[in-house]
Amino acid sequence: MSDKSKEEKVSTTLFQKRWKKFKSLKRGYYSFIIVVIFYIFSFLLPFFVGRDALIVKYEGEYYFPVFKFYLAETFRQKEVQGEANYRMLKEQFKQQDNDNWVLMPVYPYGPNENLLDELTEIPPTHPNNVHFFGTDDRGRDVLARLLYGFNIGISFSLIVTILSYTIGVSIGSMLGFFGGKVDIFGQRLIEIWSTLPFLYVMIILSSILNPNFLLLTFVLTLFGWMGMTYYVRGEFYREKARDYVSAAVSMGAGNSKIIFKHILPNALTPVITFLPFAIVANIFSLVALDYLGFGLPPPTPSWGQLMSQGMQNIEKWWLIGTPLIAMFLTLLSITFIGEAIREAFDPKVYSRLR
Amino acid sequence: MKQENILEVKNLKVKFPVAGGILLRKVAEVKAVDGVSLELRRGETLGLVGESGCGKSTIGKAVINILKFSSPDVDISGEVWLKTEEGEVNLLSLSRNEMRKYRGQIQMIFQDPYSSLNSRMTVGQIIEEPLLYHTKMNKDERNERVAWLLEKVGLQAEQSKRYPHEFSGGQRQRIGIARALSTNPKIIIADEPVSALDVSIQAQVINLMQELQKEFDLSIVFIAHDLSVVEHISSRIAVMYLGNIAESGPGSDIYHKPIHPYSKALLSAVPLPNPKLKNKERIILTGDVPTPMNKPSGCGFRTRCPIAKPECADSVPVLELKLPDHYAACPYVSGN
Amino acid sequence: MENKKLVEVKNLRTYFFVEATDKQITEHTENFDEKLNALYAGDKYLKGKVPAKAVDGVSFDIFEGEVLGIVGESGSGKSVTAYSITRLIPDPPGKIVGGEVIFKGKDLLKLSFDEMKDYRGKEIAMIFQEPMTSLNPVMKIGDQIIEVLLKHEKISKEEAFKKAVNMLEQVGIPAAEKRMKDYPHQFSGGMRQRVMIAMALSCHPALLIADEPTTALDVTIQAQIIELMLRLKKERKEAAILLITHNLGVVAETCDRVIVMYGGKIQEVADADSIFENPLHPYTEGLMSSLPDPDKPKQLLQAIPGIIPHILELPKGCKFATRCTKVFDKCWETEPDLIEKGKSHFVRCHLHG
Repeated sequence: MSDKSKEEKVSTTLFQKRWKKFKSLKRGYYSFIIVVIFYIFSFLLPFFVGRDALIVKYEGEYYFPVFKFYLAETFRQKEVQGEANYRMLKEQFKQQDNDNWVLMPVYPYGPNENLLDELTEIPPTHPNNVHFFGTDDRGRDVLARLLYGFNIGISFSLIVTILSYTIGVSIGSMLGFFGGKVDIFGQRLIEIWSTLPFLYVMIILSSILNPNFLLLTFVLTLFGWMGMTYYVRGEFYREKARDYVSAAVSMGAGNSKIIFKHILPNALTPVITFLPFAIVANIFSLVALDYLGFGLPPPTPSWGQLMSQGMQNIEKWWLIGTPLIAMFLTLLSITFIGEAIREAFDPKVYSRLR
Repeated sequence: MKQENILEVKNLKVKFPVAGGILLRKVAEVKAVDGVSLELRRGETLGLVGESGCGKSTIGKAVINILKFSSPDVDISGEVWLKTEEGEVNLLSLSRNEMRKYRGQIQMIFQDPYSSLNSRMTVGQIIEEPLLYHTKMNKDERNERVAWLLEKVGLQAEQSKRYPHEFSGGQRQRIGIARALSTNPKIIIADEPVSALDVSIQAQVINLMQELQKEFDLSIVFIAHDLSVVEHISSRIAVMYLGNIAESGPGSDIYHKPIHPYSKALLSAVPLPNPKLKNKERIILTGDVPTPMNKPSGCGFRTRCPIAKPECADSVPVLELKLPDHYAACPYVSGN
Repeated sequence: MENKKLVEVKNLRTYFFVEATDKQITEHTENFDEKLNALYAGDKYLKGKVPAKAVDGVSFDIFEGEVLGIVGESGSGKSVTAYSITRLIPDPPGKIVGGEVIFKGKDLLKLSFDEMKDYRGKEIAMIFQEPMTSLNPVMKIGDQIIEVLLKHEKISKEEAFKKAVNMLEQVGIPAAEKRMKDYPHQFSGGMRQRVMIAMALSCHPALLIADEPTTALDVTIQAQIIELMLRLKKERKEAAILLITHNLGVVAETCDRVIVMYGGKIQEVADADSIFENPLHPYTEGLMSSLPDPDKPKQLLQAIPGIIPHILELPKGCKFATRCTKVFDKCWETEPDLIEKGKSHFVRCHLHG
């Protein structure tokens, strides 16, 4: 009787248990789903927001400008130099009223597109029903820049976080596993390294070199890996003293097996619980650097750069308000995720005596 | 009819340095084991009893050569001779790599059934692990062996896909036993294998160990603090106090006719499940066990010993033969 | 035993509300009484959870001057019973859902949280298994005892100090006045347990609850603490000790009466002599025979087969049925009552029905 019920019981790993708990924490779980969907969506942005048409039918042939660059001459667009202007093309085809047509994205403005020719006022212009969030001081659409900036911000922060965590976990593991002199000297070196002033280095570097995505990732990683070493080192010390590790040694397991098969999977709790907060911190760093002008090179769409424009044109509320709200919502939902992960990993129940 | 020795520990000393100051220089040392010699005979169970801090677990870990891993600065001297088919080998002289060759023959069962199993691995993976290191079995052979072992320790073969947290303490200890047996070892070091278990489960595990001992022809070093359990399972017992052996001899002799004053006190302190004996004459030792860091000079037990003499401070007493096969480290007592 | 009743525990039920599978939820929520239904209606937290009946209808008395032992294995409900008396049940997940604990004519379970504070420490004191976790590590032990005294008694600081020193001397701590200034970590395990006992006894509680007080200690130190408890018992005739332990040896040495628990229910109650000489319940018998007896010839131990079932999977009838060697059909169907069999010897078993 009882044997039967045992067979029905599905074996769950610790991870599955925590995932189940995480799912039950609605606020974090929904934030997670929303952020993931938004992020995936942001890779498909050119299909929804952009200056390049999705499909052009021109004289019996189909063109896919989203995927390929066409010169204006291809469509015999005389008044335009370089790449074709598809919004204009659409108007032209409409007037000609023939077989040719253009399918534009839902929101047909690109993030780096200069709209000075189309605008009736001097930019930055107010939000209206064409440019939902208005335009910036160079006549670029703010909504498009915000959306593309989201993708760049999150991608950048993910890459920096993953890189610095990889370095941090590796070095922390080493310190914790080998202990002794390795640990003492390693820690001192990390302490010395941590005292390097990040901002000065950044300013000096960006005045010598032209800052780009790679350089920024490199520098932020260089200054961001130290925090994780302390936690992983501690976890390694703790796990190393536990009996299952002694058991592995007494079975004849080698160092690499002990590190990767036994200790590391049990030492990753802080890595996972800190991950969302690290992502938040890195998004913030990028925004701050962009704001100060040491960030990604123009014309890369970025929130920080928008805000800095907003500071210069303080009465143009949409320049500072929209990126602030976007950042606030993004960081808030990632923080919710982090909070839920932390709770899912916490075995304690909040309780009191009554 | 004395069996040959399968394991011999000679004058084992284990010292842990105590580091202090900013440069973590050695400022003192803890003599956890202070010159212990033991022999384990083929097929027997040797019980190692003593209170916490007496060094009994350290001996187990030193024999299996895993102390250096968790505390790299430990200072170990002495010899641990293991009899193998190719002759005798001193385990303490081996590097960790050389030692791996012999690990299959000498395995350990741990006290805490919760922390001794990796919670991220399935029971099958846990039991299979030693096979990966010591045999050339393929996946199917290993699975077969795991299933066979699980049934041997009273679990079901289907449970190999489960994770440790789905088992109770007693069942986990069975998994630990199956893991230790997987490579057909000759010697098992059992470090307090039943201390963390409930009374009724404790009996099951003790029975299981005894059955397996017969079937696998195991020689067991059984480390525990519960004297009646040790007496039940062991053919010989060594009583330890502060890193030294106070008394050693055949199990029932030690239990019924202890010679050393410490063994006497230890035995009379054990609460017996019989209210009739409530008012029996018992020796209550005064004071606490001194820490191994500031061990008294001479005989370690003299600060609590009811028959201590001033001379006890002068020299460390050696084990003397008091009765046939029965030794005690106290010059002021006799076997009669 | 002509002593007065000190505590009367009646039909105590303490449940822990735990998450469960759908099957368990249907199984465990169908037979709800009104009280549970009301509870579930009034608390969102309980949704999707089922009550694990850690203590399910336990009644017993504690008399003045006695040492009453509660024995059982982990999960038997012995600690939860004791913690329910002082209402130290963390909520959530735990709740005392029913019963009465009459202490000196008052039902403790009906008191407010603040009223209960006056009882804890003063009338009912507790000592725990691991003294280090129940002492404040950053406070001198003298100050900790004085704090308890000042809270419950109207005395000056100087008087409290004298009294604290006196208490430490009573529990056998040498150079007590000097050691008042020491921190918990400066004491050894046995000494810490003595400090705990001194602290617990400082306000002369009528009931001392000791939860596995010697389990974490070495045998020779355990003997010291047992002797101390027995001495204190002799000195304080009007007080009682409730001792929770799994060690039958400790029970035999200290207790006057013994309660054996299994599956959240009392299985057997008797005075210590008759429990050990004439155990009636198969579980009690099993516990005794699973201990190695050095005076008997060596053979395999008489272990109780099987494992303690998960608390949600206890059998419907007798809770011990899954492991009992003398089980028969009736045991699976109906749960036996706790009936008197011999002078104040109660047992819950169909074999004696």
